[in-house]
Amino acid sequence: MPHSPVILAVDHNPHNLELLAQFLGNQGIATRCIVTIEEFDAALGESAPVGLALVDISGFDRSIWERCERLRDRGIPLLVLSPRHSAALQRESLAHGARGVLVKPLATRELLGLLRNLMNET
Amino acid sequence: MQSEPSLQRLSVGIAGLDEILHGGFLPGRAYLVRGGPGAGKTTLGLHFLTHGAAHGEPALFITLEEPEDHIRKNAAAMGFDLEGVAFLDLSPTSEFFAKAETYDIFSPAEVEREPTTKKIVDTLAALKPRRVFLDPMTQFRYLASDLYQFRKQVLSFLRLLVDQGATVLFTSEGSAESPDDDLQFMSDGVLDLRHGPYGRTIAVSKFRGSDFAAGQHTMRITAKGVEVFPRIVPNVRREFKQEVIPSGVPELDELLNGGLERGTVTIVTGPSGVGKTTLGLQFMKEAADRGERSVVYTFEEEVEIMLARCDGIGIPARTMIQKGTLSVTKVELIQLTPDEFAWSVRAEVEQNNTRVVMIDSTAGYELSMRGEDLIAHLHALAKYLQNMGLVVILITEIHEMMGNFRVSDLGISYLADNVVFLRFLEINGELRKAVGVLKKRLSNFEKTLREFEITREGIKVGRPLTGLRGILLGTPEWVNPDETKE
Repeated sequence: MPHSPVILAVDHNPHNLELLAQFLGNQGIATRCIVTIEEFDAALGESAPVGLALVDISGFDRSIWERCERLRDRGIPLLVLSPRHSAALQRESLAHGARGVLVKPLATRELLGLLRNLMNET
Repeated sequence: MQSEPSLQRLSVGIAGLDEILHGGFLPGRAYLVRGGPGAGKTTLGLHFLTHGAAHGEPALFITLEEPEDHIRKNAAAMGFDLEGVAFLDLSPTSEFFAKAETYDIFSPAEVEREPTTKKIVDTLAALKPRRVFLDPMTQFRYLASDLYQFRKQVLSFLRLLVDQGATVLFTSEGSAESPDDDLQFMSDGVLDLRHGPYGRTIAVSKFRGSDFAAGQHTMRITAKGVEVFPRIVPNVRREFKQEVIPSGVPELDELLNGGLERGTVTIVTGPSGVGKTTLGLQFMKEAADRGERSVVYTFEEEVEIMLARCDGIGIPARTMIQKGTLSVTKVELIQLTPDEFAWSVRAEVEQNNTRVVMIDSTAGYELSMRGEDLIAHLHALAKYLQNMGLVVILITEIHEMMGNFRVSDLGISYLADNVVFLRFLEINGELRKAVGVLKKRLSNFEKTLREFEITREGIKVGRPLTGLRGILLGTPEWVNPDETKE
């Protein structure tokens, strides 16, 4: 994917971000890592092109949903990462603009396929 | 001891285990060692590796759990020389815990398998080991995303090792919660280590391409590592001359039609204090005069007491011991399992060419040994000694001083080729002793009893007691009262 836009990776756990960035980097995908809500807000204020956002909701409070809606409003596809299967969470995620919910641990092959599909859309 | 390890076999470095495996592992295969915590798996692996290293075979220890320096310390404490044994330490470091942030975004299988696999492959390529010990294989389960992947990985990993010419020993901790049946299927052989109520045991439950000694064998972990005592199997046979060995007491030999045959089991039975042990020792005294070695295993009497007794009845036991024609061994209570006892008897017989063995007594044997099926073990031991051409004397005590006759309280009379019995008799209001023969498989024998006495000069046996009736009841009467005079 030449000139592929950056992926916004939001995760409260830096170790997770590190692994994710390393994995995506190996696939030639650049990642912008975000650990806190403040950093999230700052990133949303920038105008740099964002191809897709991966938001791991564990460790964040409900204020995360508001940021998700802002992503949707900007037309950025959004995937929510969750530590467990939950119908309520899935409903809420979709209501706030997520394209889908992925349950951790992620299978790398599936993640990659999904990312490529979504990013090709945009 | 019974079969020389053949060249195509890989010795484990534990004599007893090699014997169970009929010489050792087959090279280029993968074997599973199963057992709970503290079962001795790692120690067994150390034997396997150091034995190879000592013979110039490159050996590799892959540890996924215990750090290398721990293993080295434990090995040094048990006297293993790890010179020539390479380590690949894949155990988690303390940093892992200190770095509080662990991850959950990917499974460990996705993140850690690759670096782990790479380290192993690199080490194998550099070292080309002939012996590999992997402890524990179960750790890989967590690096596989599912059961199918785990199986595939283990199989291909074992293939990788074996293709490089290595013989692999790997461990698992099979339990009801996490069964390791899959690993058992995948391996070429399975060793089960157990810790039961009667001590440790080792059993082979699978050995592709080879026969093995089945059943549970005694295993011991000592300060020097693992020792294995295979269950005795009476399939060895030594050529021996079919001959009769006399007791040296002419009347007794007459009673026995010459004496006891080599390669037979004789039960000497009688109540306490009647002279059973002395009767057995008499055969040993005579054997010593021919220059043959005898061994007494005493389960009840202390060695010194037995020797002092011999002093008083004209049996030169102390001199015999000095000359090496006699050995008296006290077997301590609850110390040994039947396998260990049998192993020491075998060593005695095969190294010292012992010709007469006395077990004093069978009840003592049953009380002293730890384990089940003791009579079966005693049977196997007696059969083995028989095949080796020994004269086996089993001393058996019966509780009744007089009265109803029986050979043994333990139900072992079926073991005996010969049964010699000693009795107390009351004749004319006097307590006397008598000796008789109840059974002799290989020859005829006298059907009458003879008076038996132990004097300062030794055993005295009188003329046949004919003309008495009710002998087996213990209170005989003269058939013809006129013949009262002897």
